[in-house]
Amino acid sequence: MSALTFKLIFERAQRVDCSPLTKDKLEGKTVAEIAALPLVAGRQPVTAGDVFEISGDDCRHIVFENSSDKLDFIGHGMSDGEITIHGAAGAYLGQFMTGGQITVNGSSDIYTGCEMKGGQIKINGNAGDFVGAARPGYKNGMTGGTIIISGNTGARTGDHMRRGMILIEGDAGDYCGSRMVSGTIAVLGGVGRHLGYAMKRGTLLLNQAPAQGISANFNDCGSHTLAFLPLLFAEFAKLDSGFAKVSPFSRVQRYAGDIGGIGMGEILVRL
Amino acid sequence: MIINGVSIDPTFAEAFPMKGTRVIITAQNLQWAMNSAQAFTGFATSVIACGCEAAIERTLDPTETPDGRPGVACLIFAMGAKGLAKQVETRAGQCVLTSPTSALFSGIQGEDGKDIPLGKNLRFFGDGFQISKMIGGKRYWRIPVMDGEFLTEENTGVVSAVGGGNFLILAESQPQALAACEAAIEAMKKVPNVIMPFPGGVVRSGSKVGSKYKALNASTNDAFCPTLKGQTKSELSPEVESVMEIVIDGLSKEDIDEAMRVGIEAACALGAENGIRRISAGNYGGKLGPFHFHLQEIMA
Repeated sequence: MSALTFKLIFERAQRVDCSPLTKDKLEGKTVAEIAALPLVAGRQPVTAGDVFEISGDDCRHIVFENSSDKLDFIGHGMSDGEITIHGAAGAYLGQFMTGGQITVNGSSDIYTGCEMKGGQIKINGNAGDFVGAARPGYKNGMTGGTIIISGNTGARTGDHMRRGMILIEGDAGDYCGSRMVSGTIAVLGGVGRHLGYAMKRGTLLLNQAPAQGISANFNDCGSHTLAFLPLLFAEFAKLDSGFAKVSPFSRVQRYAGDIGGIGMGEILVRL
Repeated sequence: MIINGVSIDPTFAEAFPMKGTRVIITAQNLQWAMNSAQAFTGFATSVIACGCEAAIERTLDPTETPDGRPGVACLIFAMGAKGLAKQVETRAGQCVLTSPTSALFSGIQGEDGKDIPLGKNLRFFGDGFQISKMIGGKRYWRIPVMDGEFLTEENTGVVSAVGGGNFLILAESQPQALAACEAAIEAMKKVPNVIMPFPGGVVRSGSKVGSKYKALNASTNDAFCPTLKGQTKSELSPEVESVMEIVIDGLSKEDIDEAMRVGIEAACALGAENGIRRISAGNYGGKLGPFHFHLQEIMA
């Protein structure tokens, strides 16, 4: 069996909703049946066959070739299986996913892992704003799973995040961890302004101190050796990520905030 | 059956089903992990009066523990999951949470995913400052305490287990009986998944069911008391002057089989020349429990 492959025929002017193209929805279908599936591209109803050249038969492993940042909702609600994307991915990658793995060999657009519940997303590139966040008007962002970004993220990473891990090997944009309810965001590179803005609970683990310092909304709780960090690094070591190569540390400076709210969040900075 | 001049009685030990769990206590060094583990497993010799039976299974080096620090594995058994949960929780709260630098983890997967709380309710000691962390699919609690943070796993697994495996060592003198017990315990400590919950692993006050006093369910095993040889229906021959018992709890019948085998072997290695005369076992005619450990089959 070979991977079920969707090769984008040409770069489209309008965005394409790829949410029907997951293992859960394609299982048991032939290539011809898949090609006849209706998709939405902008205002135009099209079929999958109009957008993609389709080959292969193993829907447990789906490949997008020649992909573009116009392809939205890839891996929407998937529960298992694997999706590999060669090229960019659009918005809402892995939204609502509960299991399985998505790998992007390129960059992803906004709302990567939006409200995901489980599984893993690996971006071998950069990710846009609102990684692991909640949709506008919703209160819970991702509630499980892991998002690994080898590059940088945009603003509002982990906005309203409730559980799970976001690992950023590069830099995080402004408002990282904003309105975070719980969970863990770790950053190897730098972070933007307003780190942990309106954060309620959760952990922001930084490999280096923020260049612009810690916001006044976080109180310094001193330097500590925290027992849970070795467990966290042991978990990192299992991942295909730069985090697996970081020498584990448990000595950190702890800041608690955002004290403009309940102040139960924490920023841990490596010492 | 005779091994090295020691007679193995044609009898069996009788054991009963229990529920058990394993917890791992780590600390800055082995001494402090041991301090906590000894307190955690204290006053846990017999389920009759202690509510559970517990002991240290073995020490763990840093490569074997979840947080990479020295640790101690403890096994704890009770008659049911509910009773076990109560014992684990109170002991963890009073003996591990309180112990400097300690952390507490589950050391066993529950049957069919069945769990009991480990730090689940201890977290409330944090008075709202406790922090939950999901790592590797398990929930941990970080509870702020005066020496830093107490880290504990939320739950630990519950498994079916076997309690009350035993054998008796009959010797010509008290020092000889004790020496044989010490040798047996030393060998049995190397067997995984078992504990010998009594002090030093040895019981000198084996009991029988019932008593002349209505208030008591158990009383001294007079048939094996050497000072009563002329007063009661004794099981002891004239040359036996001291009897000691080793009680074993384990995660399976096979684990107890193995522990009994190596223990009896070690006791018999001292032989008749060191005053060891007989190996026997405690049973209640097959009425107490479904697990029967026939000494001669184990040693065959």
